Amino acid sequence: MARAAQLEELGTAPPLSAGEWLRLNRAVVIRHAVINLFMVIILLPLAWVLLMSVKSLPDAMRGNLWPRRFDFTHYGFVFTKIETLPINLFNSIYVTAATVLITTICAVLAGYALVHLRPRGGPFVVAMLLASLYFPTRVVSIISIYEIQSFLGLINSTSGLILPYITLNLAISVLIMRSVFQLIPHELMEAAKIDGAGPWRTLWLVGLPMARNGLVVVFIVNFVTAWGEFLLCTTLTNDQTARTMPVVLAGAQGGLGQWAWPRLAAVYVIVVTPGIIAFTFAQKLFFKGLAEGVVKA
Amino acid sequence: MTRRTEQELLLRRLWRERLLRGEIDRRTFLTNSLVAGLGMAGVGVAAKYGIGSALAQDRPLTPTYYQWIVDLHPSIPQVNAQFPGINAQIAPVEGFGIERFVAEAKNGESTWDVYVGQTPFVEMSAMIAADVIEPWDPYIPKDVLDDMIPSIRAENTIDGKLYGWPFLLDVIGMGWHSGITNKAGLPDTPPATWDEYLANAKAVVDSGAAPFGATFDAHGWRSLAPMTHSLDPNVYTADGLFDFTSDQAIEALMLMKKIMALSHPDILLAGASDGGVNGTPDEVAFAAQRVGYYTKYFNAPLRMAQYWDDPGELHLAPQPKFTGGAGSTVFWTTGCALFKHGKNKEKVAEYIRALTYDPQIWQDSIAGTATGHPGQLPPYKSIYAAWDASPPDWMPPFVGLVRSQLDQARAITNHIFGLQQFVIGQPYWETYLKGEEPDPRAAMQKVVEAVQAEIKRG
Amino acid sequence: MAQALTSRWPRARDGISPWLFLVPAVAFFVGYQVYPIFRVVWISFTDYQFLTNEPARWVGLDNYAVALNDPLMWVSLWRAFLFTMMFLPGTIILPLLLAILIDRVTSPRLATVYRVILLIPAVIPSTLVFVLWKWMYNYQVGPINHILVEVLGLFTVHNAPQWLGGTSLTLPSIAIMEIWWGLGYHTIFFLAGLAAIPKELPEAARLDGANEWQIFWHVTRHGLQPIMMILIVLRFGTSMAVIDEYLIFGGFNRDSPTYTWTIYMYDQAFKLGMWRQGFAAAIGMIGAVVMMFFVAILLYIFRRRG
Repeated sequence: MARAAQLEELGTAPPLSAGEWLRLNRAVVIRHAVINLFMVIILLPLAWVLLMSVKSLPDAMRGNLWPRRFDFTHYGFVFTKIETLPINLFNSIYVTAATVLITTICAVLAGYALVHLRPRGGPFVVAMLLASLYFPTRVVSIISIYEIQSFLGLINSTSGLILPYITLNLAISVLIMRSVFQLIPHELMEAAKIDGAGPWRTLWLVGLPMARNGLVVVFIVNFVTAWGEFLLCTTLTNDQTARTMPVVLAGAQGGLGQWAWPRLAAVYVIVVTPGIIAFTFAQKLFFKGLAEGVVKA
Repeated sequence: MTRRTEQELLLRRLWRERLLRGEIDRRTFLTNSLVAGLGMAGVGVAAKYGIGSALAQDRPLTPTYYQWIVDLHPSIPQVNAQFPGINAQIAPVEGFGIERFVAEAKNGESTWDVYVGQTPFVEMSAMIAADVIEPWDPYIPKDVLDDMIPSIRAENTIDGKLYGWPFLLDVIGMGWHSGITNKAGLPDTPPATWDEYLANAKAVVDSGAAPFGATFDAHGWRSLAPMTHSLDPNVYTADGLFDFTSDQAIEALMLMKKIMALSHPDILLAGASDGGVNGTPDEVAFAAQRVGYYTKYFNAPLRMAQYWDDPGELHLAPQPKFTGGAGSTVFWTTGCALFKHGKNKEKVAEYIRALTYDPQIWQDSIAGTATGHPGQLPPYKSIYAAWDASPPDWMPPFVGLVRSQLDQARAITNHIFGLQQFVIGQPYWETYLKGEEPDPRAAMQKVVEAVQAEIKRG
Repeated sequence: MAQALTSRWPRARDGISPWLFLVPAVAFFVGYQVYPIFRVVWISFTDYQFLTNEPARWVGLDNYAVALNDPLMWVSLWRAFLFTMMFLPGTIILPLLLAILIDRVTSPRLATVYRVILLIPAVIPSTLVFVLWKWMYNYQVGPINHILVEVLGLFTVHNAPQWLGGTSLTLPSIAIMEIWWGLGYHTIFFLAGLAAIPKELPEAARLDGANEWQIFWHVTRHGLQPIMMILIVLRFGTSMAVIDEYLIFGGFNRDSPTYTWTIYMYDQAFKLGMWRQGFAAAIGMIGAVVMMFFVAILLYIFRRRG
């Protein structure tokens, strides 16, 4: 096992015969083969989109994977056609970041309180949160939320979107944090209490470091929803400059005016790339947190 | 971005005036200005003093467009430039939803003055029922009203009142790919009757010029209704519903089945956008140059031909007719709806007049631009008359053909179920098309029953 | 600050202090969730029609009686259940397998690469995911059918599979799309769960002679319990109540397997006639009750084993 690990580390073949090497490392080879198969499944459709974005129009409408003629003008088309794209992208980043941050704070506080402070009515709150996941509010939620936002004067406000966005995943976020805090032994918290720490200090110094894993999950759940949200944004905003990216994109693909496929593919690449770059950096922080988050006590 | 700043400035000016007039105290003025500057900072205050109502008093002309219209007609901004201060927006109506309009009307308000994107048989009845829109009659100039092609004016009129100001005309016609049909040894003259159409489509398949001969859009208002109209357009019941069990409709249904035998197998499947209504399989097959003949509104073949190796191989003609039939078809306009609670109504009429008569928009629509080729036509007699008098060099022949067919063409009758009757009925008449039900009349009877059941519920 | 709060600590159990922590979450929850829920419950007992300005009248259980006697109600619920059965196992088991494999990758650089790739689908907004798969599955020019017809020659242009648009393949196709979309992101969930299991535990079990399966069953599975439960409960809910995908890939054709109770509800609330939202709300409430019944069973199962 240790040798296999070493091999992985080096990534080079040792001076062994191929057959012998394979025999020694069969588990590692199979494992990486399976992992890479999944990776290919994830990446292949996206590679196809990348190729689509540089196909000429006639080639876009042929099944053949490799185009007869390349056409790189589609990217230019996108920027001239959606002048507001940088603003929309910024709106998306702003709304998503704020939503993720606020929801996470709410969820951590609530999850901690529900498990370790055991408030009166706690189980009722949990039951309500759980039940809310299954209510068909879709029929009326868009109208109800429109009314609330209208009352608050937040129609057509990009910042105003944050409020309903927070609620989209609030219930599940609280439930996630609750189950994460349940994993932390109550005795640990009691120990902090005996040491004279208040509930806030206990959360900050003992609870939070141990709940990092849950934070990652809550972050991602909220990121995915807020980043891709469409219906609320299209209903609650009027100006192209106030809207987030998915709404502006949907306009490009829907309706009679749907764009030629390669141009849509170019939008795809333009939109997804910053997300991937952002995540490449963000994931380091995430997983560093994860690695250190293992129980130290 | 600039637009929003302007709005904020406007608000601030308004409040300053109110402060000077002594209507509000200094503190309210400050908080209100803060709200305008900071958006959500003073949420409660905004609610109390009403940003919305303040804006409505002196807001600029505010039209809102269905996205595709702006995408397909790149000259609209030039019309907007003639109206300084205009605040043109994109409407939140993805998938043809009008929820936001209705919700605002219930509060007795409207963010916009006019909606450009209303199709009468699709949503006009609902907009009227929900008290969202009001008639144009007090605002539209008489010469414009008289200039409308009569069938189009009738389409936009309910109870004698004009609820839609027509803009873009779509007519169901025919297109074909001459690269394919020539290969099959067919001439470049359009098939005039459905029998010829079927024979030509069969020749395409038999010769191997393309895998499929002909296609249509399976949505009833784009195939069943126009094919029925080609035999006889008077197929509406006294209630204003499509008469599915009429002999004409049955004949059209049987025609659809004959075309299907020469078409791609996925023809009946739902489309890939707007609730299955757009991005339909027929479009992809035509764009992929796999089918010879196509009947749909002209925008579809024109838009799909941009994917061809040679878009010049597209030919357009009126929809074929049944031998001895009326030779009619279906048309609809997409036009403008006047919000009851909107503002600037005289100004709106001025704007829509400029928009719908703009020569550049029509040239772009008919001749095409780098970004699109909608092929949508104007609703006014005078425009066609001017073209007849001195034909522009960019004028393709199909426009004249369509114009002449328009005198026989008929819109689908306005009804709250105008569009929905076809959505509800489609699975039932498709039992015949799929061969599950051998009797077309029995299938159509089920359609009528299903539509009636839904109407009775309300 | 800390001291002031410390003094409250002894009373925490029965005092208001715990509620201070709950206030932010509950405030948002009440504002944007409880209000719509109450509204939908109330509307379901009325004849409310959105397009009219007539006030809603109380009709008691009438809407429920009509809905329960409507065969479409039951068919559409069954379709949603079928989809859930296709989707749920794949979206739990595959990421779990992948997470266990990736968790053992010792090279930090490789692990980073894998994790970044896993997260790529998660940064794609839903509208774009749908666009992508509508291309993938396209009958005429999609790469899947191209490979099946032109490359492998398994089908012809006349009998190739029709994936989307309301055929019997549509629900499985959407399930595959959803599993693809969630594959990476659920794997990250499980990786987070695995990271919380002290490494000593499986090591100790291995020294005791436990095989891989026994280690998974007795150590790993137990550690992943909370994540697993959250995922199953969450995904059960979302898959029973899928709506956007069906709207896009199936439309409002009542014969389509995508016409589930959510589409039926949406159709009644925003499309048909005068927009009978009272009836639509009743359809939704019936769907909710059915879902909550199954969730209660799921929770009960997990409670017993955990």
